[in-house]
Amino acid sequence: MFSNTYTLSKRALGILLLVVGVGGFAAILMIDILDVGREGGIGPSQRIALAAMAALALLGLTLIPLGDTPA
Amino acid sequence: MKSSSSLLSRFQTAALIAATIVLGFLLYVYLAYAVNLMQFPFDYDQGEGFELVDTILFSQGRQPYLDANVYPFYASNYPPLYHVVAAPFVWFFGAQYWYGRLLGFLSSLVAATAIAWAVQRNTGHRWIALLSGLAFLASNTVYHIGPLFRQHMFMVMFETLAIVVLAGVNEVASQPRRRRLLLLGILLLLAAGYTKQLAAFTAVGAFAFLLIRQPRRAFFWGIGFAIAAGGIFLALNLITNGEWWNHVIRANINQYNLDQTIGLYRLWWSLHGALIIPAALLVLYELYFDRLSIYSIWFVFAVGVGAASGQWGAGDSYFSTAVAAMCILSGIFAGRTLRGGWRFPTNYLTRLTRPLSGLRHATAAGVATLVPLLYLAYGVATFHMPTEGFLFDDLARIFNIRPNTNFAFYDSAGRIAGGYADIGHLTTQADIDAGWQITHIVREAQGSAMTEDAGFSIRAGRDVVGNPTQLLNLASAGLFASRELIGMIERQEFGVIVFRGQLYPVDVLQAIAAHYAPETTIGMNGFTYIIMRPR
Repeated sequence: MFSNTYTLSKRALGILLLVVGVGGFAAILMIDILDVGREGGIGPSQRIALAAMAALALLGLTLIPLGDTPA
Repeated sequence: MKSSSSLLSRFQTAALIAATIVLGFLLYVYLAYAVNLMQFPFDYDQGEGFELVDTILFSQGRQPYLDANVYPFYASNYPPLYHVVAAPFVWFFGAQYWYGRLLGFLSSLVAATAIAWAVQRNTGHRWIALLSGLAFLASNTVYHIGPLFRQHMFMVMFETLAIVVLAGVNEVASQPRRRRLLLLGILLLLAAGYTKQLAAFTAVGAFAFLLIRQPRRAFFWGIGFAIAAGGIFLALNLITNGEWWNHVIRANINQYNLDQTIGLYRLWWSLHGALIIPAALLVLYELYFDRLSIYSIWFVFAVGVGAASGQWGAGDSYFSTAVAAMCILSGIFAGRTLRGGWRFPTNYLTRLTRPLSGLRHATAAGVATLVPLLYLAYGVATFHMPTEGFLFDDLARIFNIRPNTNFAFYDSAGRIAGGYADIGHLTTQADIDAGWQITHIVREAQGSAMTEDAGFSIRAGRDVVGNPTQLLNLASAGLFASRELIGMIERQEFGVIVFRGQLYPVDVLQAIAAHYAPETTIGMNGFTYIIMRPR
């Protein structure tokens, strides 16, 4: 990865986006689980952020089949 | 076949000519607005005067990151570069608004030129390159803030230059030249960040691009960038005894209004949709069929910045970086379409769409027909013009364009979204006269004077007391101890207080209401200024 010729492939980028999307989705949900005193449940900003993370994960999934093509 | 091709070419040319006329006219409107504002000697947009105060302080070898709890209760929440660059003008011309507005205006022209150059370099299509630059200047958002004494457009200029410089850096074979370009790009990113904090997202986008292309390069240059940016940050914090951190970071975390964000995204889409579509299509194309360019990554990050536009004090200006990125991407899309430069290497998506391959030529012809019309549609969607004044009143009458604002000004945005700047109209001699009338009141007042627009105090030769928006920012963050200011108000040490938007913290406003009473109101530039006198 630290060679002068390494470049991210579409697959690697896809995996990265998938991990960020899934991780981000879980982290946003954790706000309510960890901060149990919060009122109002999942708010509108949180819902939008969850949708964005889900979209990012889906985008990542669609890139994985493109294999070793440079990203 | 030949005649249909010729017909298509003529249609494209006609559409491009029409788009050039509309966008060229909007450039003329922009010039008229800029020249008008440069002659206006008071605050036009709230906050301009405080940027002038920052500039004056730097010109005197002082800094504006001060303890706002003590007289004159003044502090700035913006990084210093724009004001430092403007400071020499103070030595030669005194405290004036025109040079700050000129800097902003010239910045927008430089950004537009960089956009056009990027499109020209990518497509070789000069006409589309010209339209891309004009499209940037025609944007309602760019029009609004370009010729103001505000640092935002200065930041957008540095961001655009940095991205254009870094765009082809990985393909440069000569190592010394590549390093020089990387260094230049990173210095421009630093300049953008120390003009306004929002540029941090462009820096993240630029490094994401470098990371995708070559992680090693991104890592080592990223460390250098972090050391430089962090070193300047720490130095400023030390010099200002920690006030830099309080004012530029802590006080800038404000209340968030999701409805304002959604409204501004909708407005951005309704005004710029004709060019957002090709820009987004190019991002998708690069994602699945080509390498991701820095422009695509920048666009994604810049559109994301819009999510912060719902903060108190934010507004449509938060979309100006996205407009710059959009203009480059849509220009590349248009140029490539007109040059027939699309290639679709085989992958699972081309295999999925194989049954539709018979439609490929028809689709290509359809898109080629549509592309020049997009610029025309964009020109119509972003259309704005004064409805009075030389040439404008005749045009308004001929085309039946009526003002849809409180001024002699038509703005296609309609000003329906919260956070959309209520500016863009030309100032009049009556506005200038009203400004001098308020200045006279401030000059003649007994004791001190406190004005929500700094310009009146500057013109009257008084101390500029209090920066209301920053005091409110600080109060919201629990960083403002209002006791001393309220004490001065209670003792009626101010002979006059001039309100514009009543933006001071609540307890300060309550103290003013208890000890001062409105004497008169003066209208300037569409705003009602309330002259408050001791009760």
